[in-house]
Parts: sequence; C-alpha cells; structure tokens
Amino acid sequence: MCMVTKQRISTAFIIALLLIPLLNTGCGSSKTPLPVIVAGSFMVPIEDLETKFEELHPDIDVQVEGHGSIQVIRQVTELDKEADVLIVADYSLIPMMMYNTTIASSDEPYADWYLSFATNSLGLAYTNTSKYGSEINQSNWYDILTRPDVTVGIADARLDSCGYRAFMTCQLAEDYYDDASIFEQLFGNSFTWPVTVSGEDGIQTIHVPEILEPKNDRLVLRGNSVWLLFLLDAGEIDYAFQYRSVAEQHGHSFLELPPEIDLSSDDYATSYGSVMVKMDFQRFGSVQPEFNGEPIIYGLTIPNNAPHPDIAAEFVSFLISTQGQAILTDNDQPPIVPAQTDNPEALPAEIRELLQ
Amino acid sequence: MRLKFYRHNRFALFIIAISLLFITITTVACGNSAGNAYKDIDWQLTLIGDEQIVLDFDEILAMPAYSGRSGFFTSVGVVNGPFDIKGVPLLDLCDLVGGVNSSEFVRISAVDNYSMVFSYNQLHGEFITYNTSLHEVDNDGLVLVLMYELDGEPLTEDVGSPLRIAIIGDNVLTEGMYWVKWINKIEILNFD
Repeated sequence: MCMVTKQRISTAFIIALLLIPLLNTGCGSSKTPLPVIVAGSFMVPIEDLETKFEELHPDIDVQVEGHGSIQVIRQVTELDKEADVLIVADYSLIPMMMYNTTIASSDEPYADWYLSFATNSLGLAYTNTSKYGSEINQSNWYDILTRPDVTVGIADARLDSCGYRAFMTCQLAEDYYDDASIFEQLFGNSFTWPVTVSGEDGIQTIHVPEILEPKNDRLVLRGNSVWLLFLLDAGEIDYAFQYRSVAEQHGHSFLELPPEIDLSSDDYATSYGSVMVKMDFQRFGSVQPEFNGEPIIYGLTIPNNAPHPDIAAEFVSFLISTQGQAILTDNDQPPIVPAQTDNPEALPAEIRELLQ
Repeated sequence: MRLKFYRHNRFALFIIAISLLFITITTVACGNSAGNAYKDIDWQLTLIGDEQIVLDFDEILAMPAYSGRSGFFTSVGVVNGPFDIKGVPLLDLCDLVGGVNSSEFVRISAVDNYSMVFSYNQLHGEFITYNTSLHEVDNDGLVLVLMYELDGEPLTEDVGSPLRIAIIGDNVLTEGMYWVKWINKIEILNFD
C-alpha cells in the first residue's frame, strides 16, 4: 500500500472517530419509541403488556413512565412532554384536564375521547402478623380498625386517589352498617386539622384541609398507597386501605369489602354518588378539587399531539383485546369487556372496531 | 509523494484542530462553572407573610447558604440521587417577611401552577426518610431549602431551574412530591 493511500485511510479513520459520537447522539436504538405514561397502580400490569406487545412488535420499544394519575396528564398538558398513550386510575381526569385545554399554537384539545377499560375495588391489605387478622371480616372491620392497639395506614387524600377513596368508603359504610359514628371513630380525632363531613341535599361532603397531619401513632399517612405496603411488611402497621389489584400484586392478604361500599360496581353508582370529597384548597391550576363518589374506573387516551398515533392505536387495541384483557385479569385488574368510550366517532378506526 | 504526504498530514491536523475547537466551544457553552452561569438568571421570587417582598435571584444567592446531600424518589419508586445540594433555608426566607409560628403553614407555588404546602413541623424538618432501597430510616435532622445548585452546577430546566425545594439530610431520600420545581412564590398562611 502506498503512503498516500495510507494517509487517506488515516485521515478517514480520524474523521470517522470524530463522527462516531455525533452519529450515536443522532441515532441510538433503531426501534421506534412508544412513550406510555401510566398511573402508579397500573405499573405491574403495564410491564406484562409491554413485554407481550414488544414480542409481537420487535421494532417498537414501549417506554413506560409512572406517576400519580393527575401528574400523568400534567406531563402532557402542562409540562410539554410528548406521550403516545396516557393511562389513569380515574377516567374522569381525562375530560376534566384535557378536553378544554388546547395544544400550544393550536385550537385542538389535548384529547377528545377516552376509553374506560378496567376496574378495581377498595379494601384492606394486611399480613399474617396483623393484629386480629384471623378474625377481621366484612362485618367487623371498622370496629377492629378503631381498637386502640391497632395501627392503620391510609394514603394522603390530597395526593393519592386511594386516600380520598378510602374516606368515601368509610363514609358510605355509615349507611351500609347503619352506624353514623364510623367515620368519626376512624378519623374524627386523628388529624391536627380535622377532616370534617357536612351533609346537604342527600350528599355527604368530606372536607380535606390543606394540611393533613396525623396527631397520633394510631393512624399512619403516606403520600402514596404503595409505600403503605412496605410498612405492612415491616409490621409497623396492621392494616392499610388499598386497591385490591395492588395488594394482590404485592402478595398481601386482602379483605374485600361489600360492593355497596368498595367502589367497584356500576350497580351501586347511584349510592356511591351520595358522597364526595372536597379539598379545601386548589393544588393544581387545572384540577377541580372535588371528587364525586363513583365506581373506580381506569381510563386511557391517545393525546392529539402523540408523536406516533398509529402505533399508539395498535398498542391500545392490544390492551383491550382478548389477549390484553387476559393480562389484566392475571394481574387482578378486572377488565371492562368490551371497553367503553364517550366519543366513538373520535376513536381511531381499529380501536372502534374492537368495541362493537 | 512527500508533498502529498505533507498535505494529507496537514489536512488531518486541520480536522483535529477544528474538532478541538468545536469541543472547546461546546464545553464552554454547556458545562460552564456555576458562578458564571448564575449571571444570566433573571428570576423573581415573591415572599408573602406579614408583608410582601420580591427577591431577585442575585439577592437569594447572596443569602447564607446551606449545603448537604440528599435525594428523592418518584411516586412509582424511581430513585433520584442522593445529590450534593446547596440552597437557602426556607425558614430564613420566611423570616424576611415575619417568620412562621406553630399555627401557620407555608404554601410553595411554581410557574406551572403546581403548589405544595408544608406544615410547621415539616418546616422544622419532620419528614419520613428512606434509604436508596426505599426502606424507611431515621434521620439526624433535615433542613428544607430553596435549592439553586445541584452537584456543583446550577439547576437545569428539567431539574427545576432556577429554584427548587430540596430536603437536605444525611444521604437520605424523601418523597419527590415535596421537591417542587420552578418556584416563584412562597406564602405564609394560617387557617383563620
């Protein structure tokens, strides 16, 4: 090889070396990313859905990110993050936060449809070391929770839907068990600034103050219901108000409460509506701080500014397909069959076909 | 032959020189020292207590700083940090507008319309703390600060530039919801 050729090769080699970082920055994986933002209580099922979907579509990389449900939507509507699919533990947040909020420099709303696709129920998680665990049942749970030697965990109602739904369940219990003292016994003297209940026109409104701070060790508060499970494992609390799916996904015992109060059934939607939780403050500019008693229904949507709407539609179609529903069932997350929507005309055609 | 060799060597050296220049410019632009980067920050923080005042970023920077190491985790358990953190204690800022007493609390607001409240006990460091395995651990005292520096650098936009709440302890983690980004208002309130 002559010297000139060698030098040309050397020069090309140097240039190639210099270009490698730039090429790496620009290209990365050859797979198409599909950013999916989900509620924290849906993290376990979404991992299985991601695995199966990627097996069927090896050229797609489902990128899951988890937050509380309100934060899931804010990532797109207020923090300008791009996402292909949003999944929340309360479907009503989608119309509340996305239908009237327009995409920057556009008249188009962030979303104009949702699918309700799964349910859940609220009950009590506990372990085999929980005090009175061998005797607790649907008839005596509220009595056991008020015993002085029992410690109870509840998620912060200001931050976690599991927390304000636990308040709803305990208020509904007063009618169901015909005992008007249940809520007061459970929570009446537990907070530095009290959680109060007022009644008007047949609606019992639970008022949550801006500061929610337990004033004794009998009630333990955490910002996220999942952290309560660690306290259960450590024996630091005896019971925790929890979603059934989360308790069972983490291997805890779970006391199912009657469907009249566990917020699981559409059959009792009217009676659930007799309670509501009102935050006496506004934490997010875009969220009305009032939550009506309703069945727990998970919802999803594809934002109108999704970077990959066609692939997103494929993913959603998979999620509500027979195969996707089986994955939900395996993860103790009862699917709604078929999934329901509020605006069929706006749905991508392939999703609409699956609802018929 | 020798002339061509020389020309190619010169070409290679030229490419290397251009590359070094590019790297230098990029480093200066992206990785500047904290001191210089603070120079261009145009930010105002409103404090509301017995009176209302507005502080520029420079005025915050001039206050006595508190440093320590801590981190946070997200609602789904993703651990961030611990980091080396520097900022101004929140109580020092509250003292500028009359201070906080035990019947009051503080609301922190951000430009994205997010807000978080801190009770009197929290203002004095009462938080649940965790290790990096997310097990609850005791702490030796915590200080709530308005952070402006993380790992020796000003905060980036994603991290919460220029001001973010941090809870400083000894390598402990706290829940991420408290670490409010992009702060522009601090209010001292009571329930009356």
